[in-house]
Amino acid sequence: MTTTDDVSAPSARSTTGAPPARRRRRRSGVGQVSGPIALLWLAPAVALIVGVVMFPAVMLFRASRSEYSITGLYRGSAGWDNYAKVLSYPDLPVVLKNTVVWVFVVVGLTIVISLALAQLLVKDFPGRRYVRWAVIVPWAASLVITSQLFVLLYDYNYGLVNHVLTTLNIIDTPISFLGDDRFTMASMIVVGVFVSLPFTIFVFIAGLNAIPEDVMEAAEVDGASPWQRWRQITLPLLRPALLIATVLNTIYVFNSFPIIYTLNDRNPGFTHDTLITFMYKLAFKSQEKDIGMSAATGIINVLVILVVVLVYLKVVNWREETK
Amino acid sequence: MTDGWPAGVTTDVDDTDGTHAGTAGFSTRRTMSTTRRHTMLAGVVATGALVLTACGGGTGAGQAEGGGDDAEKVTTISLMAAEYSKDNTKAFWDAFAQEYNSKYGYTLDVNVVSWDNIDQQSSTMIQNNQPPDILNLNAYASYAKDGLLYDSDQVLPSEVKSDILPTFVQYGTYEGKFYGFPDLSSARALFYNEDLFEKAGVSGPPTTWDELAEAAKKVKDATGDVGYAMPLGPEESQGEFSMWLFNNGGDWKSDGTWAINSDANVETLTFMNKLADDGLTQNNPARTNRADAFDLFKSGKAGMVVGFSPLAGALDEDGSVKYGVAPFPTNDGSESKTFGVTDYLMAFKKPGNEDAVKAFYELYYSKEQINTFIEKEGFLPVTQSGLEYFQKDPKLAVYLETLPNARLTPTDDPTWDKVKLAVQQNLGAAMSGDPQETLDKLQQTAESQG
Repeated sequence: MTTTDDVSAPSARSTTGAPPARRRRRRSGVGQVSGPIALLWLAPAVALIVGVVMFPAVMLFRASRSEYSITGLYRGSAGWDNYAKVLSYPDLPVVLKNTVVWVFVVVGLTIVISLALAQLLVKDFPGRRYVRWAVIVPWAASLVITSQLFVLLYDYNYGLVNHVLTTLNIIDTPISFLGDDRFTMASMIVVGVFVSLPFTIFVFIAGLNAIPEDVMEAAEVDGASPWQRWRQITLPLLRPALLIATVLNTIYVFNSFPIIYTLNDRNPGFTHDTLITFMYKLAFKSQEKDIGMSAATGIINVLVILVVVLVYLKVVNWREETK
Repeated sequence: MTDGWPAGVTTDVDDTDGTHAGTAGFSTRRTMSTTRRHTMLAGVVATGALVLTACGGGTGAGQAEGGGDDAEKVTTISLMAAEYSKDNTKAFWDAFAQEYNSKYGYTLDVNVVSWDNIDQQSSTMIQNNQPPDILNLNAYASYAKDGLLYDSDQVLPSEVKSDILPTFVQYGTYEGKFYGFPDLSSARALFYNEDLFEKAGVSGPPTTWDELAEAAKKVKDATGDVGYAMPLGPEESQGEFSMWLFNNGGDWKSDGTWAINSDANVETLTFMNKLADDGLTQNNPARTNRADAFDLFKSGKAGMVVGFSPLAGALDEDGSVKYGVAPFPTNDGSESKTFGVTDYLMAFKKPGNEDAVKAFYELYYSKEQINTFIEKEGFLPVTQSGLEYFQKDPKLAVYLETLPNARLTPTDDPTWDKVKLAVQQNLGAAMSGDPQETLDKLQQTAESQG
């Protein structure tokens, strides 16, 4: 949408709150919306944020400072004990390492592969519409279903992957993709990339479409090679899209629960868990079975992802780069 | 905030010809000032992180539910029941609620929850001080320890208590009071594939562990299939290990103290380890869950597995595997002991619900109700009258004989609720390490929890 053509859309979409008010002010140029009226328009958005974001966050914080029995019964305040217990947990280093590997590799691979595929999908070819629809499918399917599907594909006894590999004589005996420590993380990463691709591809398609053709034509006239055009025009102009894709994918992949939980459910302990499944297992599967510790991990997780994203934004210096 | 580019994304899918039709997102962005973009992106990031993490957290506020009434008599009670099967559980409890209402005038709110979620949901409800009146779960001792439950003197009609099999009363008793009322039970037995046994030239089910190993080896050598499917993954490794250790004269506790690393148990785990090392089990037993082991057996790829009546039901329905059921062999050939499991229907103390809860138990333990439920779900009875009722089914004979003497895990000890989890997460380590060391660690865990 551009800033001039839609009068009704912003106000109709009341959940987006602030931007419509700002736009109207800018467009009309005269007068201000009075306080109470602005508040009225903002109310649904505020209610949503308070109810869905703030309230659970406050509850989470309160839970993280409480002591609970294994049954869930509240036993009183725990101070910062839960945090201390989580931070000194013997398996925490492994979990952190897994989280770093999981997030970096999945996001990295996703970005690289998506760039290539998006480049293909902006080209005009017969049936492009259907290919684009097909690309969306992994995104539309529930993550649990996708994960379960991969569990079947990876299966040691009747999995398709092992069947193909043994039939082609690439391997002699089947590989236990999910039970063998050497393969588990890699197998999960494949699924992680698979489900992150659609969203990322479409962000890049939108970004690529936003690149003005005249710039490209000018470069072509000047005799730039395709690689030069891509490297020196497409990529720099794609920076906003890259930024968005990286930040949102990082958050999304970091918080990904179903893939790791489903593919890793046969493995005991925390050998292949990330912070998110670690948090879940602390509350329901580990011998601690402690909601307080789990909530403390939840708070730590929010802080970790915030810090990571802010550091990333700082490093890429996005305020300058996106000008 | 983010409405710019998802709109761009959707228009884009339909965009067959255009190069520019779907450019909305980023061109809009370019018209905005840097500061605005700053706030927007920061907002997206912060909100995104919060929302997503909060969703993952799951310590949500929970739904307001029933409760809240003061000491007056309640007329509505709630039941949180575990889903044993998609087809039968909900149907049974709905019919039960109707009967309950017409007979006693109380209303029963039925909430059937899958086994995957029930721990989580019940824990959340207790956190929020809104437990259900009746909870159906596989553990009770921790709840009794926390003082949340009614005991049998308060809510269980005395004729019901005397009808429940003494084994289950024993394991349902915490500190001298009976809190864990069993709803149904199961007992394990050895399932063997008759076709594979025949091909391998094994004449019948093994009665000692050596025979079991021999049968497994013959099956493997003759057919290339798995000899014995041994699930020691985190789903239920304590179940598999219980079956073995009870049949070697071992136990989890003896004379009131933990005996996880007793000599008999170390011997048991060492034997299991050797079975795996000799390649007579499926690949990677430490990372195989029970459901996967059952799948192997159901597809005819495993010679033996420890199963229970619902597995028999599934096999009968498929009809593709010819199988036999026998008592699990013992190490020395003595009489087999079965590992029994029971789930519980426990009653939470809430003001004014005592009479309604009592009526609930009176109805549930009436012969028509409990036997119908158990029969539909394919499990085993927990009462004397149930034992008599199920004699009519010859297929259940092998279980029913052993049921009154079944051994259970120490569910009457609240510590077990945590030890069980430690076993699930750690027992498998013995398959690639030292059984003695694994059991020593578990023993230590159990003692430190005590």
